[in-house]
Amino acid sequence: MAACGILRRLSSNFSTALPLLTRSATLSPLRLASKHYVQRTLATSSRLSAALKFTDKHEWIRVEEGGVGTVGISNFAQEALGDVVYCGLPEVGTQLAQQDEFGALESVKAASELYSPLTGEVVEVNELLADSPGLVNKSCYKDGWLMKMTIANPAELDALMDETAYERYIRSIED
Amino acid sequence: MQRGRPVVEVVRLGLVSYQEALRLQQSYVGRQRVAAAGPVPGPAPPHALLLCEHPPVYTTGLRQPYPPHLLDRLRLLGAEVHRTDRGGLITFHGPGQLVCYPVLHLASFRKSLHWYVGELEQTVISVCSRFGIEASTTRHTGVWVGDNKICAIGIHCGRYVTSHGFALNCNTELSWFGHIVPCGVEGKGVTSLSAELQRDVTPREAVPHLLRAFAQRFDCELTGDRTGCAGTD
Repeated sequence: MAACGILRRLSSNFSTALPLLTRSATLSPLRLASKHYVQRTLATSSRLSAALKFTDKHEWIRVEEGGVGTVGISNFAQEALGDVVYCGLPEVGTQLAQQDEFGALESVKAASELYSPLTGEVVEVNELLADSPGLVNKSCYKDGWLMKMTIANPAELDALMDETAYERYIRSIED
Repeated sequence: MQRGRPVVEVVRLGLVSYQEALRLQQSYVGRQRVAAAGPVPGPAPPHALLLCEHPPVYTTGLRQPYPPHLLDRLRLLGAEVHRTDRGGLITFHGPGQLVCYPVLHLASFRKSLHWYVGELEQTVISVCSRFGIEASTTRHTGVWVGDNKICAIGIHCGRYVTSHGFALNCNTELSWFGHIVPCGVEGKGVTSLSAELQRDVTPREAVPHLLRAFAQRFDCELTGDRTGCAGTD
């Protein structure tokens, strides 16, 4: 427990440096010495700081370790939908091409289609949404994630918007 | 830059099967999507407002909690049964009910499904008030007169183009609703313009009020008023 405390304080000192560490090929001595704990901290930090990319249909994808992308809808989208009452999600194993319809969200008697941000295969679907579809509204970037998919063609990520570009995009359509 | 008001083409289909109306809706949806996806932004095609009545049919939505034996029982009543991709649970459509399918590209209005459903509800409330009926919304979607639903709503939206719509009971034979739990809402009833006013109100009588209310609510220009098929009553 004490060791964890020290590591936590250390990691907060390194918090701005950590993304750099993960990207560079060299390993710091700290990482080599306490690989398990620091790796977990690194993983948590990199997951939180990993950039979201957005589609013009208000889906986001976040590339996780292992080259799998987590997909969800943006705050703009969940507000525009209203309270989600049902999530129609694909089967694990479904092959999707970029922009393929992969499911639908139902809210206030309106069903709205979902479009795949990339080409890949569905590897996991958020089971919590069956009983708690409202997670999509309450926590659209975290607990309300919709599905995880492999990334068959990483170059497709370049065509997606980063957070700044997406915010600009929202402002332009709100006019 | 403010463009002119959106143009919505009114298409009266008369009495038409559910399948046929779906097919027509899809052609209007296609028209909107093709234009939106085009390389050169030209004048947008008019949106569409399809009006019709259906022979007796029960439809279910995106969620499928209905066992086949229940649906078979409904078929044995002489009604058709259809699965759809709209939101909402099971409902009934039949003669005497004014069914309205707005095929709109929300980019010309407001890109919010939540807003759109609310505006449809308000449009119908306005129609009811023109008949002297006080209708309202509740936490259950649709338009209500007290504890009785007078109009059901169920929408689909893909790439901002809407389909499906709402169904206002004018002089519908309400006993058809007795075989289902309409929209999955237990303990509530259904009503119609005729039931509320104690006189026969046909869909034809309701149409002009609906068009006026829709044009006002959505701040759009209605054109065409083409008759698609043989007229109703």
